[in-house]
Amino acid sequence: MKARKGEIKVITGNAAAAYGAMLCRPDVVASYPITPQTEVVEQLSRFHADGILDAEVVEVEGENSAMNIVAAAIIAGGRAFTATSSWGLAFMYDALLQAAGFRAPVVMANVNREMPGILAVSCGQQDMVSTRDSGWIQMAVENCQEILDSIIMAFRLAEDIDIQLPVMVNYDGFYLSFLAEAVEIPLREDADQFLAPLKLQPERTKLDPKRPLGCGTHGILIGFMELRYKHCAALERAKQKLDEIDREFGEFFGRSYGGQIEEYRTEDAEIVVITSGSAAGTARTVVDAKRAEGVKVGLVKLRLFRPFPRERLARALKGKKAVGVIDRSVCFGWNCGPIYMELRAVAPDIGFIPMMSFIDGLANMDITTPHIERVVDDVYAASQGKPYQEVTWIPLEE
Amino acid sequence: MVIMREFTKYEAGWSDADELLLCLDTGSWRTKRPVLDKEKCNYCGLCALYCPPQCMVNMNDYFTPNLDFCKGCGICAKECPRGAITMVPEGEFSHEGAKG
Repeated sequence: MKARKGEIKVITGNAAAAYGAMLCRPDVVASYPITPQTEVVEQLSRFHADGILDAEVVEVEGENSAMNIVAAAIIAGGRAFTATSSWGLAFMYDALLQAAGFRAPVVMANVNREMPGILAVSCGQQDMVSTRDSGWIQMAVENCQEILDSIIMAFRLAEDIDIQLPVMVNYDGFYLSFLAEAVEIPLREDADQFLAPLKLQPERTKLDPKRPLGCGTHGILIGFMELRYKHCAALERAKQKLDEIDREFGEFFGRSYGGQIEEYRTEDAEIVVITSGSAAGTARTVVDAKRAEGVKVGLVKLRLFRPFPRERLARALKGKKAVGVIDRSVCFGWNCGPIYMELRAVAPDIGFIPMMSFIDGLANMDITTPHIERVVDDVYAASQGKPYQEVTWIPLEE
Repeated sequence: MVIMREFTKYEAGWSDADELLLCLDTGSWRTKRPVLDKEKCNYCGLCALYCPPQCMVNMNDYFTPNLDFCKGCGICAKECPRGAITMVPEGEFSHEGAKG
C-alpha cells in the first residue's frame, strides 16, 4: 500500500509544523506564542476556527501552563501537541522534566532560537542543547517537508507502547520557520492510515476515576531508581524504533530521511562533515562541489540528538581519516560544540582519527558555503597528517 | 540488564492506589498519633472528610486512622466537633499500637 499524492503547497516551516500536527488529530493543543514560533499557534487556531482541527485549543497564559496542560491531557488518555522556542522552552523547564518523567508522549515543535543571557531574537540550537538532559527524545530537521513528515513520525515514535516518551521536533528558527518552500501535504486518510498501528497496541496507562492510580508519587526509593532505568532503556529503544518508523514512512509516502542520521556520499568518503538542521542543506551543496574537485568528502546529518545515535555514527565514521563537526550552539565548560563533545564520547568506537569542532551560525550568523568549504579544507588537511586546531569559531577567524 | 525484583509493572511513575501507594510506610514519619475515644465518637465522619491522605478507615460505627499511612498531621483531632481524637506523642508508645 502506498499513499496517494498529496496536495503541494508553498508554505513556511511553521505552517508545515501546524499541518503536520493537524493531520495527527490531536485532542488538545495548548501553546503560547513566541518569536519565531508564533505562526504555528496562529495556523493551528485557524485550522480550529475553520473546523479542520477538531481539538480543544487552550489559550494559556504562558509556556509552563502549556506543557502542563498537554502532559495532563495525555495522562488522561488523549493526544496533544504544543510548540515553543527558546525562552518559552526555558519557562516550561520543570513541566518539561515532569512530562518526560510521567512518560507522557507529548509531541512538541521547538523552533530553535538563541537562549537567554545575551538577548538575541535569532536562530541557534542552544535551546535544544540546554534541555538535552530532560529525558526527551530530540530530533533536528533540515527543511519544511521534513518538518511536516517528522511531526507525523514523532507521534508514531512517542506513542509507541515500547517508547512512551515525549518527542521534541527541532527546526531552525528564521531559516526554516519563515522560509516558504513547496511542501507535499499528505491526505488525511493517508496520515490516519500511517498512525493506525498506534490504535492496535495495548492501551497506555491513563488516569481513570473508576480505577484510582497515583502519578508522580514520592518516597518510593528503589522504585525511583527502577523508573529511571526504564526511562533510559526506553530512550535506547527509541533509536532503532525511529529507523523503523522512518523506513515505513518512506515505503508508504515515498520520502525517508535515514532515521537517526542521514548519510550523504559517506560510503567511499575519506573525510566526513557532521552537522544538523538547515545547515545540512548547505553542506550537501559543498560536498558535491568538493567531490567535483576530487576531495572524497561525505556528510552526516544528525537527525537524532537525544538519544545520541552512537551505534549509527560509529558505523558511518569507521575507517574515515578525519571528521569535522559544525555546531550551531556551544557547550559551556568544554569550549567546543555540543555535538562535537558528544562525538568525542563515541571516539573509542571509531578509532583515533582527527576530530575537529567548528562553531558557526550563532544568532543568525549564516553558515555559508565558503564557511563549510573551509571546514572541508581544514578537515582534509588534518586527514593528511597536518597539524590542526581542535576548535574553530568560524566567523571570528574570517 | 534484567530487573531482578520489579517494584511496579508500569513504565512510568504510576502506582496502583491499593497495592503500592497505600503501602508506603509514611506512618514512620509521624511524631504524634491520633487516638480515638470511642465513647465520644458519634460517627459523624468529619475526620474522614478532612483527612488529607484519606487514611481514616470506616469501621461502620466509628472511624479509626490507618497507622501505616497516617502522617500524624492532627487535622482529624482539630476538626472533630466532639473532641474524640487526641494527638499523643509517639514517644509514649513503647511498641506499635500499645501505650505504656
